[in-house]
Amino acid sequence: MIRMPINERPNWQEQADEFGFKFHTLYGEKYWNESAYYQFSLEQIEKDIEDPTEEIHQMCLEVVEHVTQSEELLEQFCIPEHAWDVVRNSFKNGDPSLYSRLDFSYNGKGPAKLLENNADTPTSIYETGFWQWLWLEDNVNSGALPRTADQFNSLQEKLVNRFHDLQFLTPDRTLHFSCCKDTEEDRGTVQYLQDCADFAKLDTDFVFVEDIGLSDKNTFSDVNDHEITWLFKLYPWEFMFDEEYGQHLNSSKVRFLEPPWKSIISNKALLPMLWQLFENHPNLLPAYFQKDMSKLVSDKGIVKKPIFSREGANISISKNATELAASHGPYGEEGYVYQQLHTLPKFNNSYTLIGSWLVNDEAAGLSIREDNSLITQDSSQFLPHIIL
Amino acid sequence: MKRSSNINIFRMKKSRSTFLLRPLYLGVVASLAACGSNTQEAKVIKNPEQCVEETTLTIQECEVAYKKALEESERVAPKYSNQRECEAEFGYRNCGQQTSSGFFMPLMTGFLLSELLNSGRRHYNPVYTYRGSRSNYRDRIMTSNGSILSRNGRGTFHVSKDTLTKKAPTVKKTISRGGFGSKASAKSSWGGGGSSRGWGG
Repeated sequence: MIRMPINERPNWQEQADEFGFKFHTLYGEKYWNESAYYQFSLEQIEKDIEDPTEEIHQMCLEVVEHVTQSEELLEQFCIPEHAWDVVRNSFKNGDPSLYSRLDFSYNGKGPAKLLENNADTPTSIYETGFWQWLWLEDNVNSGALPRTADQFNSLQEKLVNRFHDLQFLTPDRTLHFSCCKDTEEDRGTVQYLQDCADFAKLDTDFVFVEDIGLSDKNTFSDVNDHEITWLFKLYPWEFMFDEEYGQHLNSSKVRFLEPPWKSIISNKALLPMLWQLFENHPNLLPAYFQKDMSKLVSDKGIVKKPIFSREGANISISKNATELAASHGPYGEEGYVYQQLHTLPKFNNSYTLIGSWLVNDEAAGLSIREDNSLITQDSSQFLPHIIL
Repeated sequence: MKRSSNINIFRMKKSRSTFLLRPLYLGVVASLAACGSNTQEAKVIKNPEQCVEETTLTIQECEVAYKKALEESERVAPKYSNQRECEAEFGYRNCGQQTSSGFFMPLMTGFLLSELLNSGRRHYNPVYTYRGSRSNYRDRIMTSNGSILSRNGRGTFHVSKDTLTKKAPTVKKTISRGGFGSKASAKSSWGGGGSSRGWGG
């Protein structure tokens, strides 16, 4: 695993316009960065990323199994009581999932360590599945990279195939895609997924989360009063449970992507549960709920994470009671979990985080984020990678 | 190879889709529907040539539309396990066998074409001519879900607006909106209106 500088493609901004990639620059800062790339060996990808990714997903499913069978655990995961049936039934009925992203700390040697599982609303999928794929295609065609260069990235292909399977599992329904208003990144992400569903010939539509309506029959509707029977939502389950329509989730008979049981593994309480069930697994870091946090070795550093958090918000890192880094944000009222610190590797003065994608239960690709802080946040940059 | 082998780059381009936003007449001749009525007048388009005559689409767009309608027909047409059963409903030599599934399905007579307002997304609803010999519906045009298009003379039909757009059922009455999304607006106003890039992660 090395970081290599490379010339940017001269016309990439124009190309981004042409392909509708609008959020490559955010608030005047570069988000997509193709002035460098990461290079992996095939063995690093297959042995250190791909295999553990699929194994951890299976371990996460075991956690779901445990949590759905225990009211005490559902409480510990801060899932409100009125949503327990929705969560339990979705798992019992085998409601299918679409995708997840596991975040790892990995430096090319030794086991990758799981930091968290973005199992409910993962983003940066367009950049991963298509845009870095195109970057490699262009650079190979121009001779800047050798023909033998590959990439761990079958994401788009697997998404299209998965949508095809999902239609078979969910016949005769229109799949509505949704996200919140005024978020260009989310809108772009959802459009990409809708395009993939269209390639699989699904019947699709779009509705903003805020525009979803409730009918007199307790079903949800879009702005044209069409009933929503199947909904992809780039919107956290923990918000939906707590909001006004959260009480109608059971009666609405909607199939969701991601399904409600994903709220268990997108939850940071997953981390202590994984450690409890699979203690000393090479890809896991010790993690505990508050009551057992004294078991963590304080001079190795401790990371405090809110049970619900997105984009690295409200995380703090301390060593021997001294705070090393902290991020702000609106989360944390539900409580925290504590994880042993495993500092992100540093390449070229930036901290590097590996995102490893799953489509259903299959490892499907890799994305790289760089941040100048120990805590990777939404300000971090996205860099492409190759396998050589 | 560890990466996607076939991504159709042309289909990934977004700028080409701007022409879809141009106002179009499509198959809908006119909305004669009275207030509150849920039907519209529509024309069945039989081939790309008729599509050029009846709509503002170019021949290339019409060919794409026709191809899309055929694809949609593959997906939604009534399926029969043998040719005889299919022909009993749709007539002699009016059925074909789907190579992927082996099922028999009626040949598409034409399609209804429409565009969802403000979305730039087109819908292609294939239709078939029913030939059941003892049925009142003999020689009538029907959609894949069995809706009969009521006759209106000279190839135009009264169809429900749903038939033109899509198969999703319509709810009787939406009693409220906005029951989702409040947490997002509360969280994004945290810290004095700090900007939020979204709710993914």
